[in-house]
Amino acid sequence: MHASSVSASARRAHGSPARRRLHRLTPTRWAAIGFAAPLILYMLIFYVVPLVQNVSMSLHRYSRRTFVTGEAPFVGLDIYKEVLSTNEFWTTLGQTLIFVVVSIVFQYSIGLALAVFFNQNFKLSATLRGIFLVPWLLPPMISGTIWQWMMDADNGIINKFLGMLGIAPVWWLQAGHSLWAVIIANIWLGIPFNLVILYSGLQNISKDLYEAASLDGCNGWQKFWKITFPLLRPVTMITLLLGFVYTLKTVDIIWLMTQGSGTSQTLATWSYAMAFGKGYSSTIRYSEASVVGTLLILIALIFAFIYIGVQRREEKA
Amino acid sequence: MRHRPTWWKTLIGIILTLIMLFPVYWMINISFTQRSAIRSGDLYPKAFTTENFQRVFADQMPYLGTSLLIALACVVLTLAIALPAAYSIAILHLGGKKTMDFLLVAAQMVPAVVMALAFYQIFNQIGLLDTIAGLILADSTVAVPFAVMLLTSFMGSMPVSLVEAARIDGASDWRIFTQIVIPLSRNYIVTTALFSFLWAWSDFMFASTLDAGGGKLRPITMGLYDFIGAQNQEWGPLMATAVVASVPTALMLIVAQKYVAAGVTAGAVKD
Amino acid sequence: MRSSHISVIPTAQKALSCGVAVALVATLAGCGGSSSSAAGSKTLTFWDPYPQYTTGSVWDKQVKSCAPKGWKVKRQGMPQNDVLNNLTTAVKSDNAPDVAVIDNPFMPTAVDSGLVTDLASAGVSTKGFDKNIEGPGIVDGKQYGLAFGTNALGLYYNPAVLQKAGVDPSSIKDWQSLNAAIKKVVDSGAKGITFAGITGEEGVFQFLPWFWGAKGNLAHPDSQAAKEAENLVSGWVRNGWAPKSVATDNQSASWDLMLTGDYGFAENGSWQAAAAKKKGFKSIPIPAKDGGVAPVPTGGEFATLPFHKKADKDRQAAAAQLISCLTSDSELGKTNEAIGYLAAKKSVRDQQVKNDELWAPWVESVENARGRTTDIGMKYESVSAQLSKSLQAALNS
Repeated sequence: MHASSVSASARRAHGSPARRRLHRLTPTRWAAIGFAAPLILYMLIFYVVPLVQNVSMSLHRYSRRTFVTGEAPFVGLDIYKEVLSTNEFWTTLGQTLIFVVVSIVFQYSIGLALAVFFNQNFKLSATLRGIFLVPWLLPPMISGTIWQWMMDADNGIINKFLGMLGIAPVWWLQAGHSLWAVIIANIWLGIPFNLVILYSGLQNISKDLYEAASLDGCNGWQKFWKITFPLLRPVTMITLLLGFVYTLKTVDIIWLMTQGSGTSQTLATWSYAMAFGKGYSSTIRYSEASVVGTLLILIALIFAFIYIGVQRREEKA
Repeated sequence: MRHRPTWWKTLIGIILTLIMLFPVYWMINISFTQRSAIRSGDLYPKAFTTENFQRVFADQMPYLGTSLLIALACVVLTLAIALPAAYSIAILHLGGKKTMDFLLVAAQMVPAVVMALAFYQIFNQIGLLDTIAGLILADSTVAVPFAVMLLTSFMGSMPVSLVEAARIDGASDWRIFTQIVIPLSRNYIVTTALFSFLWAWSDFMFASTLDAGGGKLRPITMGLYDFIGAQNQEWGPLMATAVVASVPTALMLIVAQKYVAAGVTAGAVKD
Repeated sequence: MRSSHISVIPTAQKALSCGVAVALVATLAGCGGSSSSAAGSKTLTFWDPYPQYTTGSVWDKQVKSCAPKGWKVKRQGMPQNDVLNNLTTAVKSDNAPDVAVIDNPFMPTAVDSGLVTDLASAGVSTKGFDKNIEGPGIVDGKQYGLAFGTNALGLYYNPAVLQKAGVDPSSIKDWQSLNAAIKKVVDSGAKGITFAGITGEEGVFQFLPWFWGAKGNLAHPDSQAAKEAENLVSGWVRNGWAPKSVATDNQSASWDLMLTGDYGFAENGSWQAAAAKKKGFKSIPIPAKDGGVAPVPTGGEFATLPFHKKADKDRQAAAAQLISCLTSDSELGKTNEAIGYLAAKKSVRDQQVKNDELWAPWVESVENARGRTTDIGMKYESVSAQLSKSLQAALNS
């Protein structure tokens, strides 16, 4: 379908073009604001309060009592200094980065490989692709528990499979390396997300390009690197950005498998534990939780900054 | 190329799907297992029982309906806000795109805990606590920023020529939006709808904070509470609930995926 | 059912004016509006940590049957860990329930944060209840919560497994004989012992009998006693007597392992007594290091009257009446049977034991049980965190 034919059919469907507008300069700007108005209102209502509250809590020293009475003293950046001066913060930051980077690298590359594979329109491909999303339907409470059981050191099915291959059982959830266990589960959880977005991206690449490339004698591998990958770049970038954001704030699956104990503690689970008085200590530490939460937002913004920078360069190119 | 046999691709596809679905199989396996054997790690339900399902069908069905309603309403709300916004940012060049991107990323990073606490206080004031409407609004906050970003990114890569041609033809912004941009965005709309459906479907944090007193008008993630005691959780019925809840939605997913069709913009990209 | 579509738009407008104002002053105090959720109907809201007892269950009926004349009760069950946090949020927004049932180690915190009010001034009688069980609810001489019953930890065993291994459970008097018995069980080809070592309060709850059994004192959580108790339980894991999953198992998960029938022993609570009887499991009190019965922490919850900024005398009196009814001599037995607890009053407890011999092995543990927060109050939060950390380190080594 060509551009002209699209608008032509649009015209046909709705009778003659709107005469009123023919000679008037469309005030696009007003239209732009009008179309964006619902979102702007929505953001103001739903995000400004929580965002402000999050920052405000990180600047006041809250306990459970002062949370109720609202009498928490303002302490400026003191709590930031305290949190940043602990070893726990830096260890947890390192673990978080490993968790995020390793998860994303595997989620994305497996998701892309699967998207390309399912893009070949073989028998059952659409059905199988749909079924691939089923893991996402499971409430996190269920998938987390299932992974914990499958990774059970003594009785877990994964160790039983390994045993069949003659590999010694692994104590997956041992505190010293539980980070890797939760990464594996998280990769599994993230594959459908990457698959779906990348697949819809592939759908928008013209089949003609591939045919032309075939005529030029390109093989499948070359076609992937010369056509698919470059044309998928905008989709890749948004997938990576969103994947980064979601992985950074992952709590559920880690919590259900290990309660964020040992090396599997990330900034997000740490913040969650402090905000709810879960994990080791039942003492609520709203302020520290908000500090970590605010730092998480900053980390995500750094990544967004990179994203926008890359996008700009592409637009110029 | 089309005539080459593809059965082996189907076979690989099935094998990959089976690996991916193994944890789901495990859930089904446990849902048919008696409590005494759920931690035995048997590959199939050796200690077979259907009792878990009987309990689910007796207690959990109202929650399922509520979940469905919430998730579908959340999809509608998300698209109603995100589609025009993405159109405005990407095609009408609203301006401040960088600021918008920052805001959207920041919005997604606000910890769910903080969001839930803030909503609790607001909802308590305006009487939305323990209502389905309140939960739909809260659940949509997970999906809206995502939807705006994804749709903006896609519409940004849509060929400008289409829109310009239509504008020269005198089409109004509204008509360009509904007649050209929305049909061309079909794949992404389906994708966005899927995600917002799934997030609303599996939400637990908002439900437990904002709709804990909703009685039978609570989503299925809260219905699971019925099997969680102070020191005693019954994983058999929990897993059975998850299985029952997955069936209708899995069918929907599969159908929806068929709508992510090839060739929507074929030809357009060449322009 | 309220229609989502109709209410979305007006709500958004209301929320907007409200939300923006709030953002400007960065506080929620100025946010006006009608609070409709606590509307004037004569309904008492009742929160408890027993979501598994759904509408129509024995517990549900027991609570509702105690509603004072002219009042209805709306019960809301939620997981144990959520009650305190939800109550905190609700009290802050002046939307608290009329009665909340809170886990006992959280009582000092709830009192300190002003979440709950003094029972005596509301007219609830607390006479005749056991001191050791009520301890956590008493802060600075005032009683803020009433424990209607309690549970305790014990050592369950599987007689079939023990018999096959040639172990006589009555030979278990101290840690040494316990270890010998576990070893014999493992040598016979069965599995040894399960317990819950999960991070947080639940793991510490199960650890305390060993800690106190080695003469530990909560005022000194890093003492020799703590080391000895940690060595005992982590030694089981190192020897392969206990599963590695104890570090992440909660009490329910560890019970699931016991139910497989493969294990000789399980440390678990009296709430499993009925299930254990069905499987033919029996129990003994947990032994102290050098013999005798180790003190166990009191388990169970306190009925409390949450704080309301806008006090409603009638409502509070009705709530107090509800608690009084549940804990009255004539109802206390039924209240406890409904949730599988032993009553916190000796006369009622004796009656329970008389009616069902299931409870007999637990009486001694219950009467010797110690409140976790009775001696050190609020400090218990940090002590528990410290114990949890070192226990986790030991179990993962």
